[in-house]
Amino acid sequence: MSHEYVPEIAVDRDGKEHTVQGWQDDFYGAKLGFWLFMFTEVLMFGAMFMALTYYFTLHHDDFLIASSSLNRVLGGTNTVVLLFSALTMGLGLLKMRHGDVKGAKLMIWATILLALVFLGIKAVEWTAEYNHGIFLGLDALQAGNPSSKPFGQILFFGMYFTMTGIHGFHIIIGIGIMLWLLKRINSGKVSPEHYILHFNIALYWDLVHLIWVFVFPYYYMIGAGLTGGAH
Amino acid sequence: MSTEITKSYKEEQAGYFKVLAGLLLLTALTFIQPTMFMESATFAVQMLIGTVKAWLILMYYMHLKGEKLIIMFTYFSLFIVLVFFVIVIGFDVVNFQYGELSHITSGDAAAAASETHGAAHAEPAHH
Repeated sequence: MSHEYVPEIAVDRDGKEHTVQGWQDDFYGAKLGFWLFMFTEVLMFGAMFMALTYYFTLHHDDFLIASSSLNRVLGGTNTVVLLFSALTMGLGLLKMRHGDVKGAKLMIWATILLALVFLGIKAVEWTAEYNHGIFLGLDALQAGNPSSKPFGQILFFGMYFTMTGIHGFHIIIGIGIMLWLLKRINSGKVSPEHYILHFNIALYWDLVHLIWVFVFPYYYMIGAGLTGGAH
Repeated sequence: MSTEITKSYKEEQAGYFKVLAGLLLLTALTFIQPTMFMESATFAVQMLIGTVKAWLILMYYMHLKGEKLIIMFTYFSLFIVLVFFVIVIGFDVVNFQYGELSHITSGDAAAAASETHGAAHAEPAHH
């Protein structure tokens, strides 16, 4: 008896009842669900920004000195790269909605390319920092040994590598889901009539961009006014 | 009908490029601000510019303009963050009874660590 099929009923604005055949075309529901997921992301990064702000109030000068040592040219280039990738992702969605599937796919490939450029620049930056002895686990960032940096700078760089690392991980996830999106488009499961997956992945990419909008000034720019910085 | 769709497409595309121009302008402002103006309030100005950029991205790239329910959720989330992360935890942090014992919060301990180990390591990471 417990396995008896009970159809779900939806009621329209006029009070008429309809048997639900499936929720796959529930565009607004899918969008709202994805926004709820994104709020959890915001809470995660929000907590990290709060911790960063607290440490900044405790070790103000150390944070400014550490910030001034980061490479603003590479960080700034990555900011512009992400900005253009958000544009290509948005234009891809626009093309998909208006029936230009080939154009949409081209724009997704452009976004993937820009994401790889971002990761490449990040890799160059991290490698340079490693070569200067600044990386998680190296002596300079371990308190209590002769070559340690001041404690505030250890906190700054610890948070820097953690947050830019998690952000980079989101970029990698983004590339993965964009490749999956291309596969779904090729198989006809995402089309100008059913593009919610494309819409949500574009939202995800904008969130990744949005987080960087705060990561960049917080780490690279707060100490930019100090003399002796790299750039 | 097709003309109408084409017009709408072009209008939306123009919208994307206008937002891009705004974001590029604000990014340029981010770069020049620390050495050009309001140097004593760099952190506040940088966060303000970031907030304006975030607003543009949310409203136009993330299509929140006109989405009353999601905007309401966003404000509610911000309210929750404000209450719990800032007010409640902030109050707790101000009255932290183990402040002197903690390596992070104790100014003396941190200063001592800096003096002992870090004096020669304030040089830039890149040259």
